[in-house]
Amino acid sequence: MTTDELERLLAQQPVALLHRLARGRVHRQFRAGKRRLIELLLQHSSHNRAGLESDLQALLEARQSQSASSAQRSQYPLPITRKKATPQTPVPALSEPAISLTGWLEGIGVPEPQPFVPDPWQTDALSALSEIDVVISVPTGSGKTYVAIEAARRAMEDNRTVIYTSPLKALSNTKYTEFSRLFGPDKVGILTGDRQEHSQAPLLIMTTEILRNLLYDAASGEIDVRLDTLGLVILDESQYIADRERGVVWEETIIFCPSQAKLLLLSASIGNPQDIADWLTSIRPTACRLVRHSKRTVPLRAGYLHPNGRLTPLFRTLGIPYGHPTHLHPEAKRLFLEYEEETLPSGRSRR
Amino acid sequence: MPPSIHPVDLVTALRHKQLTPAIVFLTSRRACDEAMEAFDHAELVLPPVRQDAIGTALERVIAQYPSIAEHPLIPIVQRIGVAAHHAGHLPSWKIAIEELMRQGHLDAVFATTTLAAGVDFPARTVVITQSSIRKSRDFTDLTIGEVQQIAGRAGRRGKDHVGFAVITPSPYIDLSVLTKGLTGQPEAIDSQFTISYPMVLNLLKAHPHEHIQGILAKSFAQFQLNQRAELLERKLDLLHTQLEPFGPRVCTDWITQWQTFDHVRRHRPARHQTHRSESPEIAVRLPFLTPGRVVGLHKGRGIVLRQYRSKGQKNSMLTMLRPDGAVTECPVTSVREVYDRTYDCAEMATYPWCSAETFDRLSEQLEDLPPRLPILPILASSPVDTLPDAVVQSLGDFPCPTCSSRTACQKDFPTASRLRQEQQRHTKSIQALRASLWHRFQERVNVLQTFGYLTSTAQLTEDGEWARLIRIDHSLLITELIRAEAFTGADPSLLAGIMASLAHDDDRPGAFPRISAGLSSLLRQVRKLAESLAPHEDPPLLRADVAALAERWVAEPTLTWIGLCRLTTMAEGDIYRLLARTIEFLSQLQTLKGTHPSLADSAAEALTLIRRGVLEELP
Ligand SMILES: Nc1ncnc2c1ncn2[C@@H]1O[C@H](COP(=O)(O)OP(=O)(O)OP(=O)(O)O)[C@@H](O)[C@H]1O
Ligand SMILES: [Mg+2]
Repeated sequence: MTTDELERLLAQQPVALLHRLARGRVHRQFRAGKRRLIELLLQHSSHNRAGLESDLQALLEARQSQSASSAQRSQYPLPITRKKATPQTPVPALSEPAISLTGWLEGIGVPEPQPFVPDPWQTDALSALSEIDVVISVPTGSGKTYVAIEAARRAMEDNRTVIYTSPLKALSNTKYTEFSRLFGPDKVGILTGDRQEHSQAPLLIMTTEILRNLLYDAASGEIDVRLDTLGLVILDESQYIADRERGVVWEETIIFCPSQAKLLLLSASIGNPQDIADWLTSIRPTACRLVRHSKRTVPLRAGYLHPNGRLTPLFRTLGIPYGHPTHLHPEAKRLFLEYEEETLPSGRSRR
Repeated sequence: MPPSIHPVDLVTALRHKQLTPAIVFLTSRRACDEAMEAFDHAELVLPPVRQDAIGTALERVIAQYPSIAEHPLIPIVQRIGVAAHHAGHLPSWKIAIEELMRQGHLDAVFATTTLAAGVDFPARTVVITQSSIRKSRDFTDLTIGEVQQIAGRAGRRGKDHVGFAVITPSPYIDLSVLTKGLTGQPEAIDSQFTISYPMVLNLLKAHPHEHIQGILAKSFAQFQLNQRAELLERKLDLLHTQLEPFGPRVCTDWITQWQTFDHVRRHRPARHQTHRSESPEIAVRLPFLTPGRVVGLHKGRGIVLRQYRSKGQKNSMLTMLRPDGAVTECPVTSVREVYDRTYDCAEMATYPWCSAETFDRLSEQLEDLPPRLPILPILASSPVDTLPDAVVQSLGDFPCPTCSSRTACQKDFPTASRLRQEQQRHTKSIQALRASLWHRFQERVNVLQTFGYLTSTAQLTEDGEWARLIRIDHSLLITELIRAEAFTGADPSLLAGIMASLAHDDDRPGAFPRISAGLSSLLRQVRKLAESLAPHEDPPLLRADVAALAERWVAEPTLTWIGLCRLTTMAEGDIYRLLARTIEFLSQLQTLKGTHPSLADSAAEALTLIRRGVLEELP
C-alpha cells in the first residue's frame, strides 16, 4: 500500500476505529480530530508501517464479520428468551420533544423521613442466608450494608463468629467504626496488614489477604479456634475478584472457606453475577442464591454543563435512556460539537 | 472559551441549581489541588452558621487525629465548603472530609476516580470530567462498570429524591464512552487467577501433591475455562456430525491417505532441494528476529539489524550488531537464544541498515544490557498439516490412482480436511483449557524444586517450611535474600529501607534524601539477585530514593512527620502508604521467629521504630 492509499483508507474509517488503532501507538490522542489523528498515526508508525496496515486490516475484518453476523441475526430472528433482562425505561420516540431544563431540574430535594422498611431483595437475601450462600449484585448505594449487618447480628446471636472483609484498608476502617458503634466496641475487632485490635472479638473485620492467610494456616494444621465457630464470611466489593493483581486472593478465600460457614458476596453491578453464583454452587456444599437487580433506588438523571456555565439535560429523556446511548439532547449535542470544534488540537484555537 | 469550566464557576453553577453537595471527579491529584487553589480569593463564602458548623465538626475529627490540625486546606474548607480528597492526602485527612461530607457540611469535593471504588460517601450530584483513567502507565477508557460506579455515587438514599450525573468536558473527554457507560449493561468479569510461589508452598504444605489438581479445579478460573471448553465441545459435536458423510471408505483414514498422495503427486521428485529448508524450530523463530531484537549467539550477544535471504544459502541470514560496534553476518541457525527484549530500530535500505544515530544508540544499549535477560518463550508448534514422518514417498505405493472411490475422495477432500483440521484444533484447545492451571502450577513447582524449596517429590524442604510464611509480592526474591544471608547483621533501619524499596511499586519521580553507604551497597546486592531471578519473578522497582526515606524515618527517632515530609517531594499520603506497606512486609519477616530469630528481632525493632507519630495515630 502506498502512503496515499493508506491515508485514503484511513480517512474512510470512523473515528472510533482510528482511536483504536492509535491506542498504544500515539500518546495523548484522546481528543484529536480525524485529520490530525491520521497524521499522527502515519507519523508514529513510520517505522512500522506493516504493523499499522495489518492492524487496520484486522479491525476492518472484525467489523465486517460483526456486521455480517448481526445482519444474519436480524434476518433470522432467534427466539429471544431473556428479553426483559434490562429494566428498560420507556423511551419516547425521537419525534417527541426533548425534556426541558426546568422539567429536568424538577423534584430536587430531600424526601420526608420514612420509617425504615427493608426492601424485598434485602429480606430475600437474609432469609436465604440462613440456609445457603448468597451472592448479591445490585447497584451502588442500594443498601448492601444492611444485609451484611443483619446477617452478622443473626450469626452472633447464634454464638457464631463472623468475618467481614473488604479490599481497601480505608473501607475496613470505616466499617470498623460503623460496626463498633452498632454492636459495641468489645464485639468488633480489626486485622489489617499493619493493624490488629480486639482480635478475639466475634465480629472481625479484615482485608481479604489477611483472611486468605488465616485460611492457609488453618489448612496446614496451625488451627485457629475461631474457624470452628465461624458462621458467616462476608466479602464486600467482591467484584474485586476481577482485579488484575489481587483477584486471585478472592478466589482462594472462597475455595478455602470452611464449609460450615455461609458465604455472603456483596458486589456492585456486574455483567455475569449468575456465573459467580453457579461457580459457588458447583464448589460449595449448598446451592447458592443470586440476588440481583439493576434498578437504582434513587433515580438518576444526566446533565451536560458547558464550560461557559450553561447547563442542559444530556439525554432527550428525563431519566437515563437505558440501551440508547445516542438519544442525546439536541442542545447538549450542539454544545458538545461546538466544544469539539473549538478545542480540536489541530484547530490551534488555544494553548 | 476555556478548555474546561473554572472550579469557582462550577461550584457557583451547582449551588445555583441546588445540585450540591457534589463530588467532582478530576483526572489527577494535581487537578484537584489546583482546583482548591482557585478558591483562594473566591468570593463565594459560606454564611457564618455553616462555617461554624464545619469548624465544630472538624474539631471533633482533629481531637482524634491531631496530625491534621495544621492542614493547609482547612481555611478554604471552612470558608467555602469545598475540599480535595485524593491518594496524596493522609488517611486522617480523607476520613475528616468523608465525615464532613456524610454530615452534609460540604458543597463540593474534588476527587480522583480512585474514590469511586469502595469509599462510602455519596452526594446529590457527581460531576464527571474525563472518560479515561490512568491504569499503571497508560490511559484507558472507563468501562461501563466504572462509569456506573462513579455515577452510582449520585443520589443519597433517604436524602435525595433524585441524583444527578453532570458531564462537563475537559480536553480528555470522549462523550460516547460516557453515554455508553451510563446507558449500558456492565461488563462480565473474568477470573484473573495467577499461581504464586507462596500459593504453591502453602497448598503443598496442607495437601498431598495428587490432590492439588482437584483444588485448582475449584477455582473460578477453571469454572470459566470449563465454560469455554464446553462451548468448544458443542462445536466439536457439530463438527462430528458434519464429518459423518466423510466416514471410512476404501481406506479407513482416507483423508490422511489422500492428503499424502496428493502431496507426493504435486511435489514429484524435487531435483534441487536446497532452498527454503529451515527446520520448524528455526522457522518459528524467524518472525521474532526483526531489527532491534536482542539475541544470544555462540559467543556473546548481538542486536539484529536485518534479516535477509541470499542466493545459494540454505538458511535465512541475519546482519548483527555486535559489541564494540562490529557488524557481522550470520545464519539464523547460529542464534542460540532469542531474548524478550527489543529496541527501536527503523530498518534502512543501505549499510548499516539503520540510521547513524540508531546505530550509536543501539551500540550503547548493547553494552548496557544486564547479565541475565528473560528468554522469549517461542513455542515450536508442529503444524497440524505437516506430514507423518515415515511417509512412503513414491507414487507407486499408493492405491489411490486405481481406487474406486478416487473421484469421491478428490471431490470431498477440501471440505473434509478443513473440518478435520478444525476438529483437531478444538480438541487441542479443549485439552489446553482443561489442563492449563495444572500446567502453570507444575511450572512453579519446577522452579521451587530447582531452588530447593521443594523436594523432587514435591514435599516442602526445610527452607520451604519457613518460606511459605512470606506471602507478599516478590516472595522469591525475599526468601532468596534471606538464604543468601543478605540481612545478617543488618540493623532495623537498613531492613526497613530494603523492605520499602521492595514494597513500593510507584514510579512517580521525586526528590529524596541521600542514601547511606550501607543501604546503598545492600541495595546493590538486592538488585543483582533480583536481576538473576528475573526469569522466574518480575523484579521490583527497588528505588533507592524511597528506601532512603524509610531508612531515615527508622534511623532517626527524633525526626518528626513534618520533618520527614520536608525531606522529599513525595506527597504525604504516598509517604504514609509507603511506610504502611513497609510495616506489612516487616511483619512478614517477624513471623520467621522460629527459624531466623535475629532477623525477626531486627524486623520487630524496625516495626516499633516505624510506628510513631502519624503512623501510630492512624487507624
Ligand atoms: N431498605 C432501605 N430503606 C431506606 N434506606 C435504606 C434501605 N437500605 C439501605 N438504606 C440506606 O441506603 C444507603 C446506602 O446503603 P449502602 O451503603 O449499604 O449501599 P451499598 O449497596 O453498600 O453501596 P456501595 O456499592 O456504595 O457499597 C445507606 O444510607 C442506608 O442507610
Ligand atoms: Mg457497600
